[in-house]
Amino acid sequence: MARRTGFYLDKRNGKVMGVCAGIADYTGFDVLWIRVGMVFATILGFPFPLIAYLVIGWAADAKPGTLYASEDADPEDRQFWQKTRAAPGRTIREVRSSFRDIDRRLRDIELQYTSPQHKLAREIDDLRSN
Amino acid sequence: MLEAVIPVAAISILFLGLPWLILHYVTKWKQASTLTMEDENLLDDLHDIARRLDDRMNTIDRIIAADRDQPARITELRPDLRPPELRLDTRTTELRSQALRKEI
Repeated sequence: MARRTGFYLDKRNGKVMGVCAGIADYTGFDVLWIRVGMVFATILGFPFPLIAYLVIGWAADAKPGTLYASEDADPEDRQFWQKTRAAPGRTIREVRSSFRDIDRRLRDIELQYTSPQHKLAREIDDLRSN
Repeated sequence: MLEAVIPVAAISILFLGLPWLILHYVTKWKQASTLTMEDENLLDDLHDIARRLDDRMNTIDRIIAADRDQPARITELRPDLRPPELRLDTRTTELRSQALRKEI
């Protein structure tokens, strides 16, 4: 299985080498802003951003097809991993809080079915139907 | 005097201060985000399970609402209806999870 927190070139959505699309995919920013920023950076700081672009485009791996497949199956997955790359601790806490939420909801359901009111209501229903 | 100090200061900043600053932040960055491959797979699994459980809970909520012939209620906003002897139980679990939170 390919690493989910690594940086990859996004060849599928890329225009030239997929570096800007890869950065957008990695960080979750809109790809348009990154491309515009890249062009302005190239104009202002010629030629270093261009060199950096070419080096990244040459050195980084293209995104594996398995990751594309899993993201196509589940778009929410992509956002989740973007958040994880930015702050792993926060997403772990979010997963924990969702488990807590499920626990609380289950407790409430258990409560509804074990509370004295529920038993009483059921007995009354039974009497009515008889 | 000043002419002698400025080049020395500039060179020491350039060749000692700057690399030190960069290496300092590189090491900090490496310490901060250390998710190993196993951690990643585990997190992926947990995230998946949480979402599936959430879906199941929604289904069960709907089933129960239909069963009781009532609109689905918002469980989060409901007050605790249990008798006090049952409430004690959750308070201990809450305390336990708070202790866990402190450990983390």
